[in-house]
Amino acid sequence: MTVLLELRGVSKTFAGNRVLKDVDFDVRPGEVHALMGENGAGKSTLIKIISGVHAPDDGGIIRVAGTEYKAMTSRTAARGGIATVYQELLLFPELSVAENIFLGHAPRTPLGSLDWSLMRRRGRQLLDSLDSHDLDVDAKVGTLSVANRQRVEIAKALSQNARVLIMDEPTAALADADVRRLMVVVKRLRERGVGIIYVSHKLPEVFELADRVTVLRDGALIGTNPIAEVTEQSLVAMMVGRDIAQLFPKPVPNIGEVVLRVKGLSFGDRVRNISFELRRGEILGIAGLVGSGRTELALTVFGITPATAGTIELDGRTISITSPRQARDLGIAYVPEDRGLQGLVRPMSIAQNVSMAALHRVTNGLFMRFAAEISLAAEAIARLGIRTRGPEQIVGQLSGGNQQKVVLGKWLATNPRILIMDEPTRGIDVGAKSEIHALMGKLAQEGMAIVMISSELPEVLGMADRVLVMNGGTSVATIDRANASPETVGAAMTLAGQSVEMAQ
Amino acid sequence: MSTDVAPGFVAKRSAVARFISAYGQELVIAGAIAALFVLVSLISPRFLSPNNLNTIISGNAYIAVAAIGMSMIIITGHIDVSVGALIGVLATISGTLATAGYPVWIAWTLPILAGIGINAIIGALVAYGRIPSIVVTLGMLSILRGGLVSITGGAWINNLPPDFHLAQQRLLEIPVPIWFMVLLTVGAFLWMRHTAFGRSLYAIGGNIEAARAAGIPVERRVVQVFMIHGAFAGLATVLFATQLRIIQSTVPPNLELTIITASVIGGVSILGGTGTVIGSTLAAILFSAIGSAMIFINVSPYWLRAVIGVLILITVLIDMARRVREQRSAKR
Amino acid sequence: MTWRKLLRHETILALLSVLALIVLASQSDKFFTVDNLLNQGRLMTEVGLIAIIMTFVIITGGIDLSVGSILGLVAILLGVFWKNLGLPLPIAIGLGLLVGTLAGLINGIIITRFRVPPLIATLGTLALYRGIAEGISEARSVRGYPDWFFVLGQGQFLGVPVQLWILGAVTLVAAIILGMTVWGRGVYAVGHNETAARYSGLQVDRIKLAIYSASGFAAALAAVIFVSRVSTTRSDMGTGIELDAITAVVLGGTSIFGGRGTIIGTVLGLILIQALKNGLSLAGIKSDGTIVLIGAVLILTILLSNLFHRNGNR
Repeated sequence: MTVLLELRGVSKTFAGNRVLKDVDFDVRPGEVHALMGENGAGKSTLIKIISGVHAPDDGGIIRVAGTEYKAMTSRTAARGGIATVYQELLLFPELSVAENIFLGHAPRTPLGSLDWSLMRRRGRQLLDSLDSHDLDVDAKVGTLSVANRQRVEIAKALSQNARVLIMDEPTAALADADVRRLMVVVKRLRERGVGIIYVSHKLPEVFELADRVTVLRDGALIGTNPIAEVTEQSLVAMMVGRDIAQLFPKPVPNIGEVVLRVKGLSFGDRVRNISFELRRGEILGIAGLVGSGRTELALTVFGITPATAGTIELDGRTISITSPRQARDLGIAYVPEDRGLQGLVRPMSIAQNVSMAALHRVTNGLFMRFAAEISLAAEAIARLGIRTRGPEQIVGQLSGGNQQKVVLGKWLATNPRILIMDEPTRGIDVGAKSEIHALMGKLAQEGMAIVMISSELPEVLGMADRVLVMNGGTSVATIDRANASPETVGAAMTLAGQSVEMAQ
Repeated sequence: MSTDVAPGFVAKRSAVARFISAYGQELVIAGAIAALFVLVSLISPRFLSPNNLNTIISGNAYIAVAAIGMSMIIITGHIDVSVGALIGVLATISGTLATAGYPVWIAWTLPILAGIGINAIIGALVAYGRIPSIVVTLGMLSILRGGLVSITGGAWINNLPPDFHLAQQRLLEIPVPIWFMVLLTVGAFLWMRHTAFGRSLYAIGGNIEAARAAGIPVERRVVQVFMIHGAFAGLATVLFATQLRIIQSTVPPNLELTIITASVIGGVSILGGTGTVIGSTLAAILFSAIGSAMIFINVSPYWLRAVIGVLILITVLIDMARRVREQRSAKR
Repeated sequence: MTWRKLLRHETILALLSVLALIVLASQSDKFFTVDNLLNQGRLMTEVGLIAIIMTFVIITGGIDLSVGSILGLVAILLGVFWKNLGLPLPIAIGLGLLVGTLAGLINGIIITRFRVPPLIATLGTLALYRGIAEGISEARSVRGYPDWFFVLGQGQFLGVPVQLWILGAVTLVAAIILGMTVWGRGVYAVGHNETAARYSGLQVDRIKLAIYSASGFAAALAAVIFVSRVSTTRSDMGTGIELDAITAVVLGGTSIFGGRGTIIGTVLGLILIQALKNGLSLAGIKSDGTIVLIGAVLILTILLSNLFHRNGNR
């Protein structure tokens, strides 16, 4: 059998730290090869070696279409037909769709200048071949939705005649409908004989798409198997090196009186006339497609985008929330969707991050009490099990899961009564995920009222006591735990989904 | 999902609409210049006399030429606050060569080469030394400004040979600076739009990591764009040094800020990745038109700077409003 | 580790300063005299006041190019209030400080309310404020201030120039606020990641408004001292002082991208620059020649500290 790409005995050392150990990997034409592992397992290092970003240590061999290399460069990778769709999309927001697709290899006129009309025509063809007839080749990429930007990235890869396409967590930022659309595209590429390296945390996707799956752990190859030979349990066990008995450890809830009552809340046309109640000890899940107004609802309750209509009652008292500061002072905490941008100050230490929303606790009114700050951080590290060298470590050096725990620690330091968590486990590995779920359950049991926004249906169904389903900026259903199933919640999410999708 | 949408449905935006959205800022400035000409000529018809128009356009041509290079720098995501000092130094080199008896073509071309050389150093420090461009050029500003005054002692250069004054000559009845400005602007515009090199500057300014991933040699491009900018500074010097009988060996104060301002008012985003060089040339014309208009409508020229300041703020606020609107529509 | 990085930069700077002092002292025996050093402090005050507050501005990731123009505007207004409007000089000074603070506040409002990048916003107000100064003064200067006014710029208190006391007090307060208070922590957080700071309940816009207003105030204070020192007002006063101040701040290790920097660093930067200027001129080099060296030192210091960083990190 021919092989498009083959790695033998590839290792990589960063500053004395061996992050990839003697890994073998190959991709055949017309297959989807899933690459899995916890964060820090070496997946991104491996794909960066393949795409020529990093050079591997001496000793390994990379064979692309019959040619042997010691190390790839971005040039040899491109020549060998290897293209990457990165997790953080590498596009140019101010340039047009067509230009983004052809940047670096644009068609030329006989005079040597860029051939704009051919560029637009070929861009159109590529997008049509990806079923993206509604995407304007002249639109500025900065004005596109995430799903559309990803299509531009895929078109860009195809325009370089990619034989091997690397997709790094392509669905991490996509709503379900867009995920389904992407899967159709991936299958179509496979039919054309493209070999696809598919990096993902999401088991259902892997089982639907992949032909083979390779698992890495701590930089070492654990195994490569045909998909038929593995199960969810065995894959998780391979990834974490232990069995996770229960994916969603939900303790018996202890639900009390109503803490928060929202009536007719609106923010422009993004959040329309939402009403719900939240009780002590309850986890209220909010489900919906991306763009359904879930995050916007949270931002309105938290005062970032103050409500334009409706009321918020806290303990039966009507209040208005116009700033995050005010929300915090009222005992509301918000663990935001975008950890790096909204949640953390990465170049600062754990201690400085943890104290950031509770600076009043580490001051004597005039000066900082640095010792108090350190002990506040030490408390958070112990309580949340943050794996770190100590409170003074820079947050940017931590893994995704530990960073998320720092954000959580920051907000728990404010002693909130209401905790809003937006995509609490996005982009973090399986182990940290279940730790955060366990913590969420424990906090609820201790009496905290929690709102959990999530794109992952299993997470919503596994953790929530009640599910509020949003669609087109408004709430379309509230389903209690007993009746919540993929069918009921999924149906409500996509009820009028047609129009939502069209608008994007 | 989208199968019921006709293929290419959205793609058929009219060419006019596309033009307006792509060149909005340039159109606004052109409109402002036109409005100014109409209004002032109603008060004082002499404003539109060929003589005055020539003065308006050729007087600031060197700023327009320097702003072309500056626009490229800003589009690439950098800035240069040393260009005013550089022009002062190059003008002195040019004048010294001319008075020392070298042929005028040497006095014209050597400053251009010197500009390229000096900016190659700046570019290398930015690209390979990884020092932010504002820091490098801040340092270079001191070096050039101090070096100039300490070498010349602030003396003026006169006794320039008559054939040195390129900027005072005319070709086909049109002053040479206007030829320079128009040809360089159009040439640079086409080059920025139609060559892979030009587009790569937009790419670097828009998203440097993505540019690197697309195989663009980012460091080399940065050095090159600084060198090109140096060449434009040299060309601007030729116009600046040859327009008067004397060359003052001091740098015109705040010249670099005037040049940056022309670029920014012309629609080059200070955040990098967008804008064209046509806007900056129009902005340079607008500045000198305003200066001239103030004389014609009897406003004290001392208020010129205040007017330009208000103009910058208004332009920027309109630009920000446009951005906010665009971002909002992106989220839909 | 941020602290280690900072120390490293400041160590380089301190070493450079000591080296410069030794070389300069060996060149001229006038250099290390009390009179000379105090006089240098006098000359350093105007840039110093502006640079101290500029440190805050740059740590938040901003920049203020309009300070030189505010200085010129306040200087002109001081003359106008006192001479043309006939107000008592103390009231004229008070009004001048108020106008400077307001000018800074306007910068802050343009930056926070309208989200204009600080470089552009203050580029605009640089032209605007200087333009107003030029328009009002029409190139006329004001002279003939009463004698007591010159104490500020030319007098001494306990043997030390009066304005050096002011600079010292401002520096001390600024260092304490930045390094030891909750508010100072907020400044760093805003500089590193404004969005996260906002989402953490910090009042980002208020912090910035306060800093830009303070920057205007510092420029106004510098204007008053400047006028008192040179006994006259002209509309071109302070031209280019923004670049001197930024040079001192950046030389002092403050990252132009925000988030990193200290007042101590800025003070070291100021001292190094002033020592070079003075020492070299005593050694017979013309003052313009020293500017060249300052430019070179700026580039070299940042280059060196970049090299150290790259070796230490990744």
